[in-house]
Amino acid sequence: MEEGEEAEEQQRFSYQQRLKAAVHYTVGCLCKEVELDKEMPFSKQTIAAISELTFRQCDNFAKDLEMFARHAKRSTINTDDVKLLARRSNSLLKYITEKNEEIAQFNLERKTKKKKKLEDGNKNPREHADEEMVE
Amino acid sequence: MPRAGADPFLSLQELVSRLLHLHFRDSKTRVSGDALQLMAELLRIFVTEAAVRGIRQAQAEDAALVDVDQLEKVLPQLLLDF
Repeated sequence: MEEGEEAEEQQRFSYQQRLKAAVHYTVGCLCKEVELDKEMPFSKQTIAAISELTFRQCDNFAKDLEMFARHAKRSTINTDDVKLLARRSNSLLKYITEKNEEIAQFNLERKTKKKKKLEDGNKNPREHADEEMVE
Repeated sequence: MPRAGADPFLSLQELVSRLLHLHFRDSKTRVSGDALQLMAELLRIFVTEAAVRGIRQAQAEDAALVDVDQLEKVLPQLLLDF
């Protein structure tokens, strides 16, 4: 029984390590962009520190988001919960709120485009038949 | 692009999803697609803020690069803002 638990622990640990590595890579990419833009280099330790920091901050974020959703008697986290997360800084909250509207608008446009395509397909079966003949 | 598993090259949204799910206490907790996109943006800002504030500190100190010393000084305010 103990061996099974130990194996599970190890699996979780190595999964966590792989996620950390992915975060480290992404953080490195983002910092590189800033580095080139501002022409100021980062030491490797700094990148590692930001990466570790981001990973740990995700822990706080995840637990907060879960609690916000639960407080609203939901099991699915939505954008309202994310906006609550950004409440500590006014400029951050403003940016996130605007970004949320951008995302909602973009997804809405994508959905209407898809819907339109389907509708057009249903309305013009004759046109489609012609196309098939040509091919 | 999205390749999961042992490959570190996950898509950004996939990575954010896995990071959040790693720390959820309830296995039934889900995240909506929009919320996931918004979280990815929030995390991107977090990293960028840390980087930019570190640079500002290094510039104020006339340092040649951003080292952990500079990062330590901007950390408290960064965490308060998030």
